[in-house]
Amino acid sequence: MIKSVDLTRIFLTEEVETTALRQVTFDIKQGEFVAIMGPSGCGKSTLLNIIGLLDNPTKGKYIFLDHDVTNSSERQRAKLRKQNIGFVFQNFNLIDELTVFENVEMPLIYLGIPTKERKQRVEEVLEQMQISHRKKHFPGQLSGGQQQRVAVARAVVSNPKLILADEPTGNLDSANGEEVMNLLSDLNRKGTTIIMVTHSQRDAEYSHRIIRLFDGQILVENFQSN
Amino acid sequence: MWLNYFKIACRNLIKHKFYTSLNVIGLAIGIASFILIWLYILDELSYDRHYRKAENIYRLVNVYDFEGVGENSASSPFPVAWTLKSDYPGMVENVTRVFNRQVPRTLIEHNDKSYNERRFFFGDSTFFKIFDVPFIYGDPYTALNEINSVVISQSAACKYFGDSVPMGKTIRFEKMLDLKVTGVIRDVPGNSHFQFDMMASLSSLRKMYGGSLPKTWVWNPCWTYLLVKPGMADKLETNFPAFIQKYFYDAEKEHVSLYLQPLLDIHLKSTLDYEIEPNGNISYLYILGSIAFFLLIIAIINYFNLATATSANRAREIGIKKVFGATRVQLMVQFLTESLLMALFALFIALMLIEFTLPTFNVLAGKQIDLYRFTNAFYLLGVIGIATLTGLLAGSYPAFFLSSFNPIESFKGKIRKGARSGTARKALVVIQFVVSIILVIITLNIFRQVSFMKNADTGFSKQDILLVPISNTMISRNFEGFKNELLQNPHVKSVTAMDDILGVAHNTHEFRPEGLPDDNWQFYPALVVRYDFLKTFDIKLLAGRDYNESMKTDPEKGMLINEAMVKHLGWKSYQEALGKRFSSLQGEERVIGVFTNFNATSLHQPVGPFVLNIKETPGVIRFFLKYAAIKVDPGSRQEVVHFVEDRWDSWEKGRPFEYSWFDHELAKLYAGEEILGLLALVLTMIIIFIAALGLYGLVAFMALQRTREIGIRRVMGATEFSLIKLLSVEFIWLVIVAIAIAFPLTWLLIDYWRSYFAYAMPLQWSSFLIGGLAAFLLAMFITTVRALVASKANPVDTIKYE
Repeated sequence: MIKSVDLTRIFLTEEVETTALRQVTFDIKQGEFVAIMGPSGCGKSTLLNIIGLLDNPTKGKYIFLDHDVTNSSERQRAKLRKQNIGFVFQNFNLIDELTVFENVEMPLIYLGIPTKERKQRVEEVLEQMQISHRKKHFPGQLSGGQQQRVAVARAVVSNPKLILADEPTGNLDSANGEEVMNLLSDLNRKGTTIIMVTHSQRDAEYSHRIIRLFDGQILVENFQSN
Repeated sequence: MWLNYFKIACRNLIKHKFYTSLNVIGLAIGIASFILIWLYILDELSYDRHYRKAENIYRLVNVYDFEGVGENSASSPFPVAWTLKSDYPGMVENVTRVFNRQVPRTLIEHNDKSYNERRFFFGDSTFFKIFDVPFIYGDPYTALNEINSVVISQSAACKYFGDSVPMGKTIRFEKMLDLKVTGVIRDVPGNSHFQFDMMASLSSLRKMYGGSLPKTWVWNPCWTYLLVKPGMADKLETNFPAFIQKYFYDAEKEHVSLYLQPLLDIHLKSTLDYEIEPNGNISYLYILGSIAFFLLIIAIINYFNLATATSANRAREIGIKKVFGATRVQLMVQFLTESLLMALFALFIALMLIEFTLPTFNVLAGKQIDLYRFTNAFYLLGVIGIATLTGLLAGSYPAFFLSSFNPIESFKGKIRKGARSGTARKALVVIQFVVSIILVIITLNIFRQVSFMKNADTGFSKQDILLVPISNTMISRNFEGFKNELLQNPHVKSVTAMDDILGVAHNTHEFRPEGLPDDNWQFYPALVVRYDFLKTFDIKLLAGRDYNESMKTDPEKGMLINEAMVKHLGWKSYQEALGKRFSSLQGEERVIGVFTNFNATSLHQPVGPFVLNIKETPGVIRFFLKYAAIKVDPGSRQEVVHFVEDRWDSWEKGRPFEYSWFDHELAKLYAGEEILGLLALVLTMIIIFIAALGLYGLVAFMALQRTREIGIRRVMGATEFSLIKLLSVEFIWLVIVAIAIAFPLTWLLIDYWRSYFAYAMPLQWSSFLIGGLAAFLLAMFITTVRALVASKANPVDTIKYE
């Protein structure tokens, strides 16, 4: 599903040149649950951004679903992204001005799905995430755990092949965190590929495989046996 | 998707109430002002367009040029109209003359009612075939066929006849003729270059002129309108030189030219002598239009600035949407929806503002614009179009700017920093300052020019002179008798009379100065006056003497000329001019005195040669004495008015007394500039207000961005003054840049404006100082207010911010 060869990402500011990723090479197959771990500043988020087609590598090659997207335009990347990838963020990133229902509905709007079908799919996924009783509330009126469930609902509503989760439990207490991890595991069991950045060893244990990054390089890949 | 845009837009506008209200107020005032000025300009452009044949109606203009002296006359000699019609039947479809006997008011009586009518004219029977005014009673094609018939307006009908139908009834004209009402028309629209309440058949005057209308080709009192066959105007004009050769007198032929002035050009472009009514000025429309345009731009810039400054608040939303597949175009459409919504909301408020301010605006601008116009599709679409365009324009830059955010950066909060500086925003603030400064300076200069013209030394005294119209009165038949009665009152200093208001208008008369060949008549600007004219108006003599009642030959043989005439005729000194002979229609006259130059018309025109003349033949005196001028003691103006009215009543039974003050009549010359000045002043104040709103919003936002910094500085012991300095220093620099741009631009603009006046006042450097200072103080005031608010906050709370 995903193939990266010698991915390198260098950030240039006026005075400093920072290499966030150095020649990172890995493959991720359809249906895998992969955790990316490492200390702050090791390049986890940068790698996730490239995988999520939010950023382009400086050097190297990135193939997503058999498309070489290494140097593709924002337009092409946006198209691939909205059809195939769902995102879950540490700080939820819900739009405060939209209700729960409208937040979840948003990706479907950009996919051009008709109103009626949108409504049905949003209802379904809210039901699945057990948050449909809150669909008319605004994010500010929900607890952290509820907000993250909405965010997961939003990530899955368009039936993406891949879900990228950037520290999905980072802002949650352990009970809520566990709930979110169970949701992700469920999705993975139903066939969705999941790539998750995390600091938490406990969360990482839900995955099949852990990629450990240090100073922008892959330190080690652990395969888990669960 | 649109519903989604709309929802987010509404919720965002409500969430950021402070910035939303700044924007809406600014846009509403901007749109309201723009619409008002737009209506004003449309009204000015609509003059005479209601006449169905307007495109093919022309007024004949007579130019008399005698070595640079003469006149550009809006009116023509009596015979011209019908001679043109009979000589060029293939080109001239119809003609009409309009004539007011060159008197400012006409006495009209019916039963016990009597009024001095200012809007009374005589016209040919063809008048209503050319100028189609809707008739309520009567037939436009025949109404003026008979002698002694008159068509009156609805208002006049009401005034004289109340509710009864006036058809067939009579009104009495100047105690001479009974005119039968043969038609009642709707009131002539205000947007006509001349308005009339009564149009009598010109043939009625035949008897007064001894059986037929005047046949002279010299006297040119008739406004002559031609309905030219489509496309024939240019061809007709090429025939004018031959026409002049054929009909005009030999002495004039070389000096006269004729041309056709399109009816639709009259109101905005015509500045001829003897206009029926004062006209507008197209340059002033350009000035007002530009100011209104800039006003709207300022409101739009406010929107730009506030939307981009507060964009940090939106950065996350933009990032999320991009991550979930929104394209840049979709985001731009969303932001445009927001600005459009805001503009339409602002339009709603603007329309309410217009409803409240329209009466005041009409008074200020001298218009009768009503809201009824908005029921017309053109106006309605225009108004919605203005708001839509404003909304799209206002949203364009923010949409472009906001949609460019990179989602990764927007999550990290990097946008926040970018939102703080922003060269583009600085440039926009500079533009606002530049426009404000330019307008302040220009408005000041317009005002000073108007007050300069009103108070300029025109060469005669203006204060405390009472003007009483006396055309066709018993008084004009025995003026000296009336004068002696007035002089009995100790508060009456001096009394004289004239045929036009000094400084406002004058005629030209034919003279042949000594030394010129026999047939070389010249037309010189002149006023026909009575004794004590120089004394009443305090005009200085340079040589010779004034007219003297005890010198029996003065009226017939003596004339007064001004210093410009001496120069024009090449005489070496004022002394040399004395005794020079001028042939005139009265025979031969000699210069008995030379007086100082005065401004015989408005200060738009330079001073030229001028003649003051007394006529003696009784009929001629009566014809030429149109105004009595009475110089009174400053403290007793009202008292003298009552006294004069009392005397008037004993002389003029049944004729209403009317008067005006000389300085007011002169001020009317600058009514156009005065309206322009007032509108410019109001618009400038509005612009400054809108700019201040935007600036306040911007400073407030910057202070918010720097809340933490301000808190830390306060903990470290910063004083209020140092906080003011912190917030204001950036704006002070922007003001300085704005001044550097605004001053040269303003200088060019004012230079151009000054070229429009023969007597422009010198460039006022102090106005530049005031304009610059205004911008500086505005910036200081706003930043100070905001800094004081920031300094009142508890530093412990503010440090926690972010």
